[in-house]
Order: sequence, then C-alpha cells, then structure tokens
Amino acid sequence: MGPTISNALRAIASLTMAAALTVASTSADAQTRSQQGRDKGVYTPTIWVDPDGCEHWVMDDGAEGYMTPHTTRQGIPVCRRGDVCGVMEADQFFATDKYNISAQGRARLANFFQSTGAVSYIITGHTDSRASDAYNMRLSYNRANSVAHVANQVGARIADVRGYGERMPAVPNNSAANMAKNRRVEIICIR
Amino acid sequence: MVTACAVGLSACTDYEGGLGRGYPSDKTFDRGIDKKHLSQLQAGIWVDPNGCDHWIIDDGVEGYLSARLDKFGKPVCSGVAPPTHTAGDFKGGSSIKDPN
Repeated sequence: MGPTISNALRAIASLTMAAALTVASTSADAQTRSQQGRDKGVYTPTIWVDPDGCEHWVMDDGAEGYMTPHTTRQGIPVCRRGDVCGVMEADQFFATDKYNISAQGRARLANFFQSTGAVSYIITGHTDSRASDAYNMRLSYNRANSVAHVANQVGARIADVRGYGERMPAVPNNSAANMAKNRRVEIICIR
Repeated sequence: MVTACAVGLSACTDYEGGLGRGYPSDKTFDRGIDKKHLSQLQAGIWVDPNGCDHWIIDDGVEGYLSARLDKFGKPVCSGVAPPTHTAGDFKGGSSIKDPN
C-alpha cells in the first residue's frame, strides 16, 4: 500500500475514533493488522442485562462474541434494579450498640428465609454515621452475623456475610429519620 | 474459522458476509441465520474453580463469559453448582449446532 493511501486511511480512522470516543484521540489507528479491517479496530458495544438486572458490555464481530461487566469508574456494577430482597430495619431487631436478636426477631427472620427460598443469601450490616468508623464496621459485621446465624439454623445457604459500617449509607445521615433508615441489615437473595 | 466451515455448514453460514474485510464498527447485533440484537442473549451460570459465578452464553459460534457481581461490586459465589460445573440453559438462545 502506497504512503498516500495509507495516510488517507489513517486520517479516516482518526476521525472515526474521535467521533466514537468524543475526546481528542491519539493516533490509535492501524498500528497492527487488527486495526486494518473494515471496522478500523473500532468496536462499538451494546448493553446486555443479566437476570439480576446488571449491565454488561457485549459485542459480536461476526465470528467471536465478547462480554465484560459494565461498572462505574469506581468499580461498582451498573444495575437497573436492586437485587436487595430484604431490608431489616436494625431498630426492630437490635437494641442500641447490641447485636443479639430477640426471640420474636429470630422468628420473623426464620420465616423470611423459609418463605423466600433463594439459592443463597448475602447478608450485609450497615450503621448510621454516629460513633467511629472502626466501631461501626465491627457492630455492623456482628449484626450481619447474628442474622446469618438464624438463616443457618433454618437451612438457608449463606454466600457471604459483611459489615459495611457507615460506608454505604442508603440515604444521607442528615436527620433522625434518615439515620434510622441507615441502621439496617440488607439481605441480597441469589436466585 | 476454515475448520469450523469444514465441520459444520451452519457455522460457516453464520460467518458468511463477514469474510473478506469484516463487519463495520457496529458490533451490537448477531448477524447470520440466528440474527438478533445482543440484548436478547440467553445466559446460564458457570462456576469458576474458586466457586464464584459467571454468566455463560453459548450463542451458536459465539461464546460469552462475564462475571456475576453483587451491587457492591463483589463476586457472587452462590453455590448453585460445584466448581467448573454449569447451571441453566446457556445454549438455548441459538439453534445453530456446533460440536460443543
């Protein structure tokens, strides 16, 4: 291929790249054979939504298929619906600073796990923003473990137990009502 | 792909049209006889050797694999099947027959 044609192709490829990325692109054109086809190495993806409701980038270039999770730049999956199937308000199950559950609370939880019938469960504990981060991490983990213990007793499979402390608030901690909402144990049901 | 064409004619048909200079940059459709928008793909679960779930799709001659993540970005390790095993009809989305 002559230098003139090659330069023209490079110019077209650069324009295509710039249009696709909408940022000033470096000349990522035709470095190898893989950028010399009809697509100039530009792979425009679409979205596939998995049965949990989370998005993945997907592409089919004719003979191969490609897929990878769509995450934010913070690594959090982009999902169209929450996969939380149970939120236990902590105030109904735990006394302040405590992680033991009353007999009545245990019965309610046992009934939840027995009637839900998922493949497995991920239990995550959360607190409001009062007290130290380290204290809240410990308290939320202890509370999540108490819930997981009840699940275990009724034969539910637990995939993971975590304490996120005050780091994953459901709402801003700017009122008494909101802080109560943040004091919670979330149960993710894997189906 | 030459081997695939020799073994199965349907696989060859799926590839047809892409021979030569390939397809344009729009990779959002499956072309060929099982053509569809890629949002229509049908997945199952493949469990990795660590016991964690991945979405698996065998769509004729294309294969897809992508991590199953919970809303915090952590791998989902549900125990739905033993490590290296699969669950669900992950080959059900395409009528194209291939050796696997």
